[in-house]
Amino acid sequence: MPTTTNYSWTTPADTDLVKDGASAIRTLGTAIDTTTKNLNPETTLGDISYRSSTANTKTRLALGTAGQFLRVNSGATAPVWETFTSGGMTLISTTTLTGTSVTLSSIPQTYKNLQLIIRNADPAQDGYSLHLRMNGDTGANRHYTGYTLGVSNTAFNNDLWTTTGLDNGTSTFLLKTDIWDYTNTTTWKIASTYFIANNETTPANMQLFQANHAYNQTSAISSIEIRTDSTSFAGTALLYGVS
Amino acid sequence: MTKSKPQVKIVNCETGEEIVRDATAEEIAQMELDAANAVARKAEAEAKAAEKQAILDRIGLTVDELKMILG
Repeated sequence: MPTTTNYSWTTPADTDLVKDGASAIRTLGTAIDTTTKNLNPETTLGDISYRSSTANTKTRLALGTAGQFLRVNSGATAPVWETFTSGGMTLISTTTLTGTSVTLSSIPQTYKNLQLIIRNADPAQDGYSLHLRMNGDTGANRHYTGYTLGVSNTAFNNDLWTTTGLDNGTSTFLLKTDIWDYTNTTTWKIASTYFIANNETTPANMQLFQANHAYNQTSAISSIEIRTDSTSFAGTALLYGVS
Repeated sequence: MTKSKPQVKIVNCETGEEIVRDATAEEIAQMELDAANAVARKAEAEAKAAEKQAILDRIGLTVDELKMILG
């Protein structure tokens, strides 16, 4: 039987009998109908279709929801509607600093980076510092704080990260620490801190520092201890997850 | 009179639960070690500052004058 060039629909041969014409037309019509439907699978207003892995057959993609955008799926095989996910920061916890030590534990492992903000840190005694300890790790020589970029061949020299001495009583202190890629389990960890603090001798004067931190363990950061070596401290800590 | 123990606070970031309790003996020992380290760090910084000042005194310059020269 002859067939059409593009879709291989069966058509009557020149020698076919006229009496078989109705059946031949019906066969052709059914084939055309099937092909047309395969090429137009949309059923609902807003549906779109795309080429499937089968020749001459498209796949229906139903209309997405309001605000969604069209993107290629993770396997790079088809388009999909995707809900827009904004980046930015999610406040994980807000905690009042009290006693000598505050530990932020069970930190969600779902963000790219962490950002810690500490406001108005105020040790009970003059000249005492604020410290950060990763994962409760008190092992010697696992933490490092430096005020100079580009150190080389430098040993890890501490069991926590530390600021300079702070004034007690007056506190307009503000600290920001970014901890990068905190969930990975194959690298040492790095962080950077900016802080402004009241000078311990002349509180109206400031001390402004940029500090760099390192922690020589590959485990993900799941807890951060904020502590003072003074008898107690005050202030507020805000932990953000950065997407 | 009983000396009150240092307090530690633990915040579970997943549940928001906060526990405030007395520090354990191990934690108090760590605090004392931290404090000793802080004193040592401070003493080291002060010694370094004194050493710098001694050099400045020898050459007869103030810190500001030296900064001006180097700046």
